[in-house]
Amino acid sequence: MPSSILNDWSGWLPRLLDGLLVSLQVTGLSLVLGFSLGMVFALLSSSRFRVVRRPSVLLVEVGRGMPALVMLQLVYFGLPSAGITLDTFPATVLALTLTTAAYTSEIIRAGLRAVPAGQLEAAGALGLSKADVTRFIVTPQGLRIALPTLMGFAILIFQISALAFSLGLPELLSQAYSIGAATFRYFDILLLAGLLYLAITIPASWLVGRLEKRLAMHL
Amino acid sequence: MEHVGPILAAAPVTLGVTAACLAVGALLGMVLLSGRRSRSWVVRTLSRMVIDVLRGIPPIVFLFIVFFGIGSGAIRLAPFEAALIGLGLISAAHLAEIYRGSLLAVNRGQFEASQALGLGRTTTYVRVIGPQAMRVAIPGMVTWAISLLKDSALVSTIGVAEIMSVANQDARASGSSLTPFIVAALIYIALGTPLAFLSRCLERRLGVTGGR
Amino acid sequence: MTAHTPDHPIPILRLEGVCKAFNGHVAVDDVFLEVEMGQVVAIIGSSGSGKSTLLRCINLLDVPDSGRITVDGQPTHVQGGVSTRELMRLRRKVGMVFQSFNLFPHLTVLRNISFPQERVLGRSRVAADARSMALLERVGLTAKADSHPPRCSGGQQQRVAIARALALDPKIMLFDEPTSALDPELGLEVLAVMRQLADHGMTMIVVTHEIHFAADVADRLVVMAEGRIIEQGDPTSVINEPQVDRTRTFLSAIRDR
Repeated sequence: MPSSILNDWSGWLPRLLDGLLVSLQVTGLSLVLGFSLGMVFALLSSSRFRVVRRPSVLLVEVGRGMPALVMLQLVYFGLPSAGITLDTFPATVLALTLTTAAYTSEIIRAGLRAVPAGQLEAAGALGLSKADVTRFIVTPQGLRIALPTLMGFAILIFQISALAFSLGLPELLSQAYSIGAATFRYFDILLLAGLLYLAITIPASWLVGRLEKRLAMHL
Repeated sequence: MEHVGPILAAAPVTLGVTAACLAVGALLGMVLLSGRRSRSWVVRTLSRMVIDVLRGIPPIVFLFIVFFGIGSGAIRLAPFEAALIGLGLISAAHLAEIYRGSLLAVNRGQFEASQALGLGRTTTYVRVIGPQAMRVAIPGMVTWAISLLKDSALVSTIGVAEIMSVANQDARASGSSLTPFIVAALIYIALGTPLAFLSRCLERRLGVTGGR
Repeated sequence: MTAHTPDHPIPILRLEGVCKAFNGHVAVDDVFLEVEMGQVVAIIGSSGSGKSTLLRCINLLDVPDSGRITVDGQPTHVQGGVSTRELMRLRRKVGMVFQSFNLFPHLTVLRNISFPQERVLGRSRVAADARSMALLERVGLTAKADSHPPRCSGGQQQRVAIARALALDPKIMLFDEPTSALDPELGLEVLAVMRQLADHGMTMIVVTHEIHFAADVADRLVVMAEGRIIEQGDPTSVINEPQVDRTRTFLSAIRDR
């Protein structure tokens, strides 16, 4: 009997791998766009000017406060009412990008805040201008501090990409579910899908752990 | 505005699911934690693997495995039960890690002092280490509770009648499908904000300076 | 005592009526202090005496609530706030060395010293690096030029911190408990560098617990308690024959340790 499961698995695998590819593509694209947008939000949320800061902080809080599922469905099912109709792939990328940007902004800001105060004092005592301190002392170290958390978040976004099945995006979970619906062998196929997800997330988490240790050594 | 009523009425279900899964997770998390710290290498490794799997698998995939995979075969699981098991186990894994971190944060000297005083293992953990570890763990637990609140939206996909499923129904029924989702989003934010505020207050009051 | 004692002392630092309170607690209480060029002043006192705060008021890391600070003839009134320009101008003349070194860990030792020269003084990379190497030679750390601070011992880091402050050619050097975070042996390396600096005529104000250093190197010993200067004078005299009871108590407590 075990061998028959493996047989089925090898039969289903090609479709699942197609789905996995879509999952990875959607994740990768969302991360690139989301990290970039997140840095912009980090800057805006730290601005001295209330006019800039308040809306930015508000957007970030909304982005972080709503479940990713809601963001996905709002973008795909909801926006057409407002005249913006997107296909499943772009909609998923947009939703995940916005979520990523919101979390990234806070992760980066926390990293910047974590730079030891003593260094800011030393920099000030040396006569370095505030702009120089931000540019050369706070930002390089702050980003370094934020990096492991950002990497951890990237893994999270990959997990969240599975929610796009509810939009009909042909990613990994979608493929697994439709095979399940056709064969009624839900457990077997979902197990395989789960293993594929774990095959990415577990090694990735381990790498992030290693990175964290290496960075802790230097700072 | 007629959208708000029914969606808001589902909020207690969302809160109920979150609270129940949190409770399950808080208890089972301790089981996983003791497994992780067991003297037996086999139990330790097994616990680590279970925790890694539960934290590495997308929650929705695990939920589907529990509901469609297990829960529609020999054992029939109601949506709420499946949600409890699925999100409860995932919570257990995350909380086990939070507990583990909090124990590490307690000064080694506390344990040694207890030993030197001749306090037994149970007393040491319950009266000395435990309370100190809890102070460190609570902010982390609140943070997880907030995540869980958002993850609870997933259970709409297996049929639990909480905020998202009502919002979905509403969107399908009425013409405008943007409003229900916006309302849902706002309700989640409204539910989560007091928790976030609580977390910040707790962190300040408990005087916890986090390691990175 | 230092080798150089100017015949016509020029006050390079004058603090007048400096007050600083934190949350209602008075840390520095109406202090008057004058320091001449080339003098080495050691400030001692128990914790909470306000000595660190006083030092930090000199380069405005803590901005006093009231008073006047005159550095090299340039007065700065703190009433009503200090403009960024005044702040920068003052800090250019005053260098500071911290208890926790505060080197920039993501830059090499050489860059730690060169980078502020480039940004604050506008020196070219080549000129800055040359000066940095010269200073590293003075503190005996040329071998560490390309290392990062976390790879250096505490004593080495503090010597680099001294070099970093010196690179900007300050008129006054402030030291905030420079050896308190160091093992005694490592502390000695740092004190040796400071001694050398004093011999070369640098004006130094040192908050310290090292009574021996104060006795050997300082021209003047200032004793603080509760935000006030309670006694000051020649170090040997103050240590052996304290005029004020408080000083007596403090000194005997240290001695008994």
